[in-house]
Amino acid sequence: MKKYTLIKRILKWFNHYFVFFLLVAFVITCCTMLFVSTLRETLEITLTDANISAAAKLTFWNVALLSLIFTVFDTVRRKLTVERPVKRITEAAEKIVQGDFTVRVKPQNKLGTDDTFNRVIDCFNKMAEELSSTETLRTDFVANVSHELKTPLAVMQNYGTLLQQPNLPDENRVEYAKAITDASRRLANLITNILKLNKLENQQIIPQFEEYDLSEQVCECLLGFEEAWEKKELDIKTDIEDGVTVKSDAEMMSLVWNNLFSNAIKFTERNGTVSLSIKSDDDYAVVKISDTGCGISAEVGKRMFDKFYQGDTSHATQGNGLGLALVKRVIDITGSDISVESELGKGTTFTVKIRRNTI
Amino acid sequence: MFKILVVEDDRELNRSVCSFLNQSGYEATGCLFAEEAYDVMYETVFDLIISDIMMPNIDGFEFVKTVRTLNENIPILFMTARDDFASKQRGYRVGVDDYMVKPIDLDELFLRIGALLRRAKIASSRRLEVGNFTMDSDEHTAYLDGDEIPLTQREFNLLYKLLSYPKKTFTRTQLMDEFWDADTESGTRTVDVYMTKLRSKLSSCDAFEIVTVHGLGYKAVIK
Repeated sequence: MKKYTLIKRILKWFNHYFVFFLLVAFVITCCTMLFVSTLRETLEITLTDANISAAAKLTFWNVALLSLIFTVFDTVRRKLTVERPVKRITEAAEKIVQGDFTVRVKPQNKLGTDDTFNRVIDCFNKMAEELSSTETLRTDFVANVSHELKTPLAVMQNYGTLLQQPNLPDENRVEYAKAITDASRRLANLITNILKLNKLENQQIIPQFEEYDLSEQVCECLLGFEEAWEKKELDIKTDIEDGVTVKSDAEMMSLVWNNLFSNAIKFTERNGTVSLSIKSDDDYAVVKISDTGCGISAEVGKRMFDKFYQGDTSHATQGNGLGLALVKRVIDITGSDISVESELGKGTTFTVKIRRNTI
Repeated sequence: MFKILVVEDDRELNRSVCSFLNQSGYEATGCLFAEEAYDVMYETVFDLIISDIMMPNIDGFEFVKTVRTLNENIPILFMTARDDFASKQRGYRVGVDDYMVKPIDLDELFLRIGALLRRAKIASSRRLEVGNFTMDSDEHTAYLDGDEIPLTQREFNLLYKLLSYPKKTFTRTQLMDEFWDADTESGTRTVDVYMTKLRSKLSSCDAFEIVTVHGLGYKAVIK
């Protein structure tokens, strides 16, 4: 194997040499011919076979020597400015292949070289950084999924075991059974959401754009939560422009409203206020959903559209951290825009902007 | 006692739904396949059918289609794992009255069955009674304690709709779409005018109340 690479290297070297030889020969022949023919015309020198052949031999050796010097020079230059950085980059890439996402390639010093390789190195480092952050996300994601899935299962298993005790008083039996029902309901919601999100993420879904009455849709979605807000005695404030139409995918957008309303109602304390406003201008329809709930800190705000991320772990029992990921996905697919304003302890406002005419 | 037929191929789910319904005061019969359901229906008259979609041989859609050719009025409720819009659309097209996605909440099932049976009764008797207030949809007349209350046709229809679905809020647009011509020039606020008229005409009625829901729409609440 080693011998083989050696032969290959020698062949390569000869190849380089040959290229340089041809190049130098071409240049020198052209120059000499021009030079000699000019001389002959002006000085009227006659050329004999003997002195041509002597000059030709000398020139040939000259060409050979010059090519050799060029080849050696080029090989050294190549080693320093190309092979070294390439080697560093490939070594780092090997490490990434093996799963080490912490490697970074040092940029070359700029003296004497062009910065092509530095551009590659910059790009490479960016890629490595991105990979390492997705890797942490993935590990977090797996940890979160298994936590979310296993907790309700554990609850059900435990209470199931408890229910098997003989002579269990009636009130305990009812309590345990209720705990099992609640846990299974949570699990069911979670699985429904995972399946929905999976569908949105993995299948090429083409949104069905149709013009429809947005005001009506949002109102109907809000009315779906009537029981929930009555239970919490929330005040509902509405400022709705009638008959605002948009061109979007109605079924997907209803996912957005349902999740935003569900969150607003979930995170607002008793007797709080949830407000809805729908406004429009020529280009956009703007839906604002505000609550007077616990608010979102800037740090949580950055990650709240991530899957399974929950701002406040004490709210863990109420949700599964997929709602806003679903919302974001739909917003992206339909080409709408969502923004959040929030103040801790005061409340949150989600603003969704939908283009009225998607061309 | 109302008789309910449950068609569901998962034995455990079928059994749990049936025993829940039996405990809730209905008489439930469970069938694992549509073929079995046809046999049972031959012998007994049911008041309501609960059916799955994904079943071997004859699926829910086909089952409902067949049932609808024999009985136009029996309330049918789909209980299925399929939550895509296409399935819902197809379900309502073949003639189901309600659609629930698995895993279903048994308490909610109970409420929906109650509402379905109530509406079926209203539809079959063409009469609606709330406390001392009666509406007859054949004669288009309304009575409070036996005295007729004059209502215009549209007022009557609006009220009949609200009382057929008590506690359900209808948006103005939903009501407009149903009771006004499509090319009407009046805005959705016209509904408000009608509601005000209805309230004043029924001011002496204390069996129910028409409630405005936060600028979203209207509902009837039975007291």
